Amino acid sequence: MRSIRLENVTKSYDGDIVIENLSLTIPSGKFFALLGPSGSGKTSLLRLIAGFETADSGSIFLGHEEITHMPIHKRNINTVFQNYALFPHMDVFDNVAYGLTIRRVPQDIIEQKVIKILKAVHLEKQIYKSIHQLSGGQQQRVALARAIITEPDVLLLDEPLAALDLKLREKMLIELIELQDTLKTTFVYVTHDQFEALTVADYMAIMNHDGVIEQIGTPKEIYEFPTSSFVAQFVGSTNIFSGAIKDGAFEIQDLGLLQIVMPDKSWAVQGAQALMSVRPEKIEISKSKLEGFSNELQAKVEAIVYHGRSTQYNVRLSNGMLLQVFEQNEEHFPYEVIDYDDMVYLYWQKENVVMLER
Amino acid sequence: MKQWQEYHLLSRIRSFFWAIPALIWQILLLYIPLVFVLMRSFVDKESHFTLSYYVELFDATHFIILLRSLALAATTAIICLIIAYPVAYFLSMYMSRFKNVLLFFLIIPFWTSLLVQLYAWFSILDKHGFLNIILQKLGIISQPYHVLNTPFAVYLVSIYCYIPFMIMPIYSILEKLDMRLREASLDLGATRWETFRRVTVPLSMPGIKTGFFLVFIPAFGEFVIPILLGGGKQLYVGSLITHYFLVSRSSGLGAAFTWLSSVILIIATVIMHWLFVRVVTPRKTRRAMYEPTK
Repeated sequence: MRSIRLENVTKSYDGDIVIENLSLTIPSGKFFALLGPSGSGKTSLLRLIAGFETADSGSIFLGHEEITHMPIHKRNINTVFQNYALFPHMDVFDNVAYGLTIRRVPQDIIEQKVIKILKAVHLEKQIYKSIHQLSGGQQQRVALARAIITEPDVLLLDEPLAALDLKLREKMLIELIELQDTLKTTFVYVTHDQFEALTVADYMAIMNHDGVIEQIGTPKEIYEFPTSSFVAQFVGSTNIFSGAIKDGAFEIQDLGLLQIVMPDKSWAVQGAQALMSVRPEKIEISKSKLEGFSNELQAKVEAIVYHGRSTQYNVRLSNGMLLQVFEQNEEHFPYEVIDYDDMVYLYWQKENVVMLER
Repeated sequence: MKQWQEYHLLSRIRSFFWAIPALIWQILLLYIPLVFVLMRSFVDKESHFTLSYYVELFDATHFIILLRSLALAATTAIICLIIAYPVAYFLSMYMSRFKNVLLFFLIIPFWTSLLVQLYAWFSILDKHGFLNIILQKLGIISQPYHVLNTPFAVYLVSIYCYIPFMIMPIYSILEKLDMRLREASLDLGATRWETFRRVTVPLSMPGIKTGFFLVFIPAFGEFVIPILLGGGKQLYVGSLITHYFLVSRSSGLGAAFTWLSSVILIIATVIMHWLFVRVVTPRKTRRAMYEPTK
C-alpha cells in the first residue's frame, strides 16, 4: 500500500506525443479511477506505471522510491489486463500461484495461499480446471487472484470488465470495491466507462483527448462540480448554454436572463463570456405553471425516449437550442402525460447549475 | 434421424468429396508403389515367395547404417533447433520492421536448385576453398584441412539445408504468441529468463515439435548430401537404398531395406513424439494445452 507520484512525465511513440508533461498523485490505499475517452493515453499512463514502457522524461515514484527506470519484475506493482492474459498452458492453480512460484515460496505455503485467495474470489471449485474451461467472469477472477496473491503495493486494472455483460459487470464492480476495502491496496482502475468509474472510485481523474488531466476529485465532486466543459460533458450528460455574465445573472442571446449563483472565480466578472452546464435530471418538466423555481423556460417537446426508470425528453427552446431533460418514472399513472409537440415549462434552481470558464 | 444430423452427414460427405483428387493422387503415386515395393521384398528372382532378403538385412553393416542415419537425423534436428530458436525468436520479437526482408533472405535458397547449393559448398569446403583460406589468413590454422568428403561436411551441410524448416514453424508460433502473456509474467515478478523458460518456450512447443519432425524425418532418408559432400565414403540409409536399386541392381534387397528403414523411422518418430508429449511437456501443461474439454 503505497502512493504513486508522477512528475512531468512525457511519453511519445514514433514522435507522436501521447502524454505531455503530466503530473499526478495517486493516493495510497485508495480506489483511484482514471477515466478518459478511447485514445486519451490512459492505458499508456498505466503501462508507464507498470513498467512496460519507459517515460521519455519525468519521474515516477512509488511511495518515496523512484521507479522511473526500474525493471518491470522488480516493481511491486501488478496488473489485471484487459484480456486477462492468463497463461493458457497452466491450470487455474498454476496461474494464480505464478507470482509465488517465481519468488520460490515453499510449495505448502503456495497451496495454502492459492486456496485461500480462490475462496475469496469464489473459484475454489475450479482450482484444477484449465483456462479454456472457464467463463469470461471466472477468467476475470483468476486474473484478479493472480495479481493480488503477491500482495502488491499497487494494483493496476486496465478496463478489466470490458468483456463482461452488464449484470456481471455490476456484480464484479461491487466485489472489486469490497476487495479493495479488505486489502487496502492502492487500486488504479483505467476505464472509458463513466458508470464504472463513478461506481468504484474513491477518487477519480478525468483525462481528455490530448492526454491532459482535466480534473481530479471524488466522483461526487466530478459529477456535480465539473471544472471544465469537457468534464461536464464527458461524465454524464449535460446541457451547455453559452452566454455572458451580466449583473449577477447569465444572459443568453435570444433567450434572456437566467438566474445563477455567481461563481467565486477571478474570471467571473461583468460581461465575461461563460458556459453554463445544467444536468438533464436537474430540470423539472411540466405542462403547468409551477411556483418556487429561480429559472423558467418554455420549450416544445421533439422526442421522447423511454428508459424504464426514467424518461428522456428532447425539447427545443425558442432560440432553437435543443435540451435534454430526464424525468424519474415515479408513477404508473402520472397525473399529466407529456406528448410530442406539447408546449412545456422547464424549471430549475440556480444552485443546481455549474458555471464554467469559456 | 434428426434434421441437423442429416445436415451434418451431408456436409461431411460434401467435404470428403473435395478430398478425392488428393486421395487418388496419394493412392496412385504413393500407396500403390509402396505396396509394389513391399511385394518385391518378398519375391525372389524366380518369382517365389522368400524371406531371404530380410534375413540378409540382419547384419552389422545394415545396423550401423541405420544407426548412422538416425544419428545424422537427430543431431541435425537438435543443432538446427539450437540455432533456429534464437533466430526465430529474434525475428518475431525485435525485427518488426525488417522482418519481411529477413524472411525473404531465408527463402532465397529455396529458389536455387539443391545441387547448385551443394556445389557452392564444394567451393567453400575445398582444400583450397573459402573456409581454409580464411582460417589460414586469420592464422587459426597453418595447414589447409580436408573438410570435403568427411562426415563433418555431411553434418554441416545437412544442418544448413534443413535449418529453414526449423525456423519457419517456430517463427510462426512465436509470431502469434500473445505479447501480453510475457508482459503478465514480467509483471508478476519473473525475470526475462524466467519468462522465457516458463511462458515462451512451453507455448512454442507445438512449433518446436513440428520443426523437429520436419527436419528429422527427411534428414533420416537424406542421400544427396552424403553422396556429394561425404564423397560416398560412408553409407547412409538414403544412399544405400539408391545403391541397391540403381547401382547393384538388387532391388529385392533394396525393397526390404526400404521397408525396414521406414519401420525404424516410424518407431523413432513415435518414440520422439512420446518424449515430447510425456517428458518435455509437464503433465499440467499437457492437460491444459492438448486436452481442453469444453
